[in-house]
Amino acid sequence: MTSLTSILSGGLQGYVLVALLLFVIGLGAVLTRRSILVQFMGVELMLNAANVALLAFARFRGGDAQGTVFYLFIIAVAACEAAVGLALVVGLYRHRQTTDTDRADALKQ
Amino acid sequence: MFLIFALITLVGAVALVLQRNLVVAGLCLVLSFMGVAGLFLLLLNPVAAALQIIVYSGAIVVLLLFVIMLLNEHQEEPAQKARPLQRWVSAAVILVLGAGVVKLVAGSPVLRRLGGGSAPAPPAMTLGGLGDALFSGHLLGFEVAGLLLLAAMVGAVALVKRDL
Repeated sequence: MTSLTSILSGGLQGYVLVALLLFVIGLGAVLTRRSILVQFMGVELMLNAANVALLAFARFRGGDAQGTVFYLFIIAVAACEAAVGLALVVGLYRHRQTTDTDRADALKQ
Repeated sequence: MFLIFALITLVGAVALVLQRNLVVAGLCLVLSFMGVAGLFLLLLNPVAAALQIIVYSGAIVVLLLFVIMLLNEHQEEPAQKARPLQRWVSAAVILVLGAGVVKLVAGSPVLRRLGGGSAPAPPAMTLGGLGDALFSGHLLGFEVAGLLLLAAMVGAVALVKRDL
């Protein structure tokens, strides 16, 4: 099976490619946007990219349950990150009336 | 099927990056998460697909949209200062990384060997199998995750509450 058919027909290479592209797009959201909320969404995309890669490798190594266990732990950490991160965003907005990361520069001065 | 879900995932993610309105960006995130849930179904893992929809598109995105509406920040604020150099450098980094990733995956003999075997498809993941693996081998990790969730909950309340 050549690489291209493996990617297009949903072989392991296709899933790994989708995971890596999802990670790069999430990184793009973090690097190019100024709103801290969009950057937060980019971080969630990157976490999801890791999940896709994890479950793809688990499936192609014979349906291993360990992959799903680790996926569960990643979900728990992502939920904690969402709760604390959004609380920090609300705190930032209370102090400086902004969600723009360029304006949150008190430590620079 | 794989192509459809992969396209849904990637189109949702790209729309998120390009979208100016934050609420619409949040809905693009839901689209992307749904695509990922479809990919999990194709990976014979309905448990992960259900969790993906419940936790990510259900809980996390709803929390995010609540915060966007609470802060009334539907649009990105106008830039304080144009930073053309940083914009171009990050765009270049992303393009180089994207192209490198495609080349790496398409040309990797290891991935082809791992995925190319003609082994029969494994049975689909069940909740029972997941519970067995979780509570026989990872009981401590499970308890630590519960403690972490409790700590995050207390921390979030302490951060947001005005006068504790």
